[in-house]
Amino acid sequence: MEPDSRAFERNALKALSDKELQDALENAVGRIEARRAAAVASFDGFEAARERASGLRRETLSRLGDHLARFIEEAEKRGAVVHVARDAAQARGIVARVAREEGVALAVRSKSTAAEEISLDDALREAGVEEVETDLGGYVARLAGEPPSHILSSAFHMTREAVSRVFEGKLGEPPAADAATLSAIARKRLEESFSRAGMGVSGANFLVAETGSVVLLSNDGNARAGALLPRVHLVVAGIEKVVPRMADLPVFLRLLSRSASGQPLPSYVSILTGPRRDGDAEGPQRLHVLLIDCGRSAILEGKYRDALKCIRCGACLSACPVYGCVGGRPYGWVYPGPIGAVLTPLLAGLSEAAALPDASTLCGACSDACPVKVPLSAFLLELRSDTRFQGLKAPAEIAWAKGYASVMKRAGVLEALERILGELSRLVSKGHPLSGMPYPFAGWTERRDFPSVARRPFRKLWKIRRGARE
Amino acid sequence: MDPKGPVSASLFFSCSADAFAPDVCFAATELLERFGVKVGAPLSQTCCGQPAFFTGNRKEARAVARKLLRSFPDDGYIVTPSGSCAAMVHDGFPVLFRDEPRTLAAARAFAERTYELSRFLVDVLGVTDPKSPFTGTVTYHESCRLPKGPKAGAADPPRTLLRSIPGVALVEMEEAGRCCGFGGVFSVRHPQISCAMTERKIERILATGAEYVATADMGCLLNIGGMISRYGYPVKALHLAQVLAGAPRVEEEEGPP
Repeated sequence: MEPDSRAFERNALKALSDKELQDALENAVGRIEARRAAAVASFDGFEAARERASGLRRETLSRLGDHLARFIEEAEKRGAVVHVARDAAQARGIVARVAREEGVALAVRSKSTAAEEISLDDALREAGVEEVETDLGGYVARLAGEPPSHILSSAFHMTREAVSRVFEGKLGEPPAADAATLSAIARKRLEESFSRAGMGVSGANFLVAETGSVVLLSNDGNARAGALLPRVHLVVAGIEKVVPRMADLPVFLRLLSRSASGQPLPSYVSILTGPRRDGDAEGPQRLHVLLIDCGRSAILEGKYRDALKCIRCGACLSACPVYGCVGGRPYGWVYPGPIGAVLTPLLAGLSEAAALPDASTLCGACSDACPVKVPLSAFLLELRSDTRFQGLKAPAEIAWAKGYASVMKRAGVLEALERILGELSRLVSKGHPLSGMPYPFAGWTERRDFPSVARRPFRKLWKIRRGARE
Repeated sequence: MDPKGPVSASLFFSCSADAFAPDVCFAATELLERFGVKVGAPLSQTCCGQPAFFTGNRKEARAVARKLLRSFPDDGYIVTPSGSCAAMVHDGFPVLFRDEPRTLAAARAFAERTYELSRFLVDVLGVTDPKSPFTGTVTYHESCRLPKGPKAGAADPPRTLLRSIPGVALVEMEEAGRCCGFGGVFSVRHPQISCAMTERKIERILATGAEYVATADMGCLLNIGGMISRYGYPVKALHLAQVLAGAPRVEEEEGPP
């Protein structure tokens, strides 16, 4: 997927003026955040679990190479074919080759951010494979031609009315107002695909090193169907998804599910170890696991390593007040919200996504919500500093910062400036707060007043009242 | 804690309170003096460096932060009515000076002595009742940037203090801890998103029917107060210090300039 994050501001403004989107966001984000907060509050051991999960992730990342080697060895021992791709292009090449060699005509896909990262659909198209997204939200978003708006739920941002219009326009279905009818329409279309598909494509929530297993979580069951019914199962996963032992899983399952949707556990937990063996009732005949690096090794070596702790629960999105206002579209790539504002610059390039770290008030709600303690706020702040070093800041901003520092280095200069600004603002506002300010503050006062500088700032009043004792 | 002997504190007044709300600094002074603190106001202080730090202009932020470190006497407490300024000292300076061991050590020692006003009252002076004559219904907006660092003391000093004022009825708003949309430079760079967040905050404030909304940060106060002022909403934004001191309004002008 090509990043479109430079247009953050433009797309955010569009989102703010889209009444239907605003209703959907308030409804969906409000609901999911309330459920998340309640689930976390009712989980007594939340802090302890968070601490443990964070420690496990950090430990795993510090020896990621070893754990990956173990995963590959164990998975292959059990009959899986493991591929490793350095970048998206190589990953697409592998996908196309697998699809051709396995003779696949139709692939069913369940929502996978890793697959979106490598633009897997391009690879399948190139290999002449027809592809159907089976995640209900993903299916709708795909039909509507929109990028996913949430890690968990791609059509998070759409109202029932919007979904109905898409089905009418793209599928020729009659309009429907209720969620049950709409999901029945989608399910009927999808069922046909499951029975015809030669390959199921999924992501992975975790990879277990000691058994070579792939762990898939879902709430609508489509990921399980896609993994078990078709002849071939292709898993696409980032290299950071590995956990060392099966015994490590429970803490992550509990945290992920609560943080994602407020449920104590996901509806479906599938642990897939190798392809179908003799005597197995179901399962794919061939299992391919494609591990993608796509910039992760570089992150692992640098100061943002902890960003790889992320388990893609979406809690930071639900908790973020900015995401709550503008939704996922403006972030412009696979990962929206605070984790997107960190991962997009790291994976797709800071020059592509320099606007994202600025799109936060640094209120810290994301860091507080994260179940594995990714220091999101601190990373956003760090990335803002990186843009300076990489020459990505506007010259005007740097000039402003230099001017600011030269004023603040001497109290006398600040005092003089306060006097000048005070005189000016009183001239304009005649004792009232300012209802308009010049560029670049014009936007600030569009719906807010700004106070005039006091005729006598505190430092001046103090001298008058207390004498210059200090 | 019952401090032995007179406690002295330097007021770290925050550049925005200095310029836009001197009465907030006087309310803080009055409050501290009410509990026997000898208050000084080092006049060579300017700013803590937040605006540059939060935009990622660290070189400039360091220059301003160094100036702050130099502006205060070597002993005694440092108390500020602005939560985010205290957070800057506690959480920001260690990042800013991570490659300068000597300044880092000085900054850590400085942070040890630095308190946000309500935390100072509760944790250091052991105040449980601010003895405020303030009367009215008050709702409290939690600023996101009260220091979260290592200094864990009383869980929630602002609420502890507000609840003990006999004339104050504290009415909780929904989402009291949700950001009001200020975010410093964020509100300049993304004014529309910022205002959307502020509107949501104002809705929650108005839903309480409180006469006053109090907050412990100058940024939130400018932001929330600015929108209330523009639309004439029937609620007044006050700094927490003004409620605790009991002086909603201090005369602005006195004597010749």
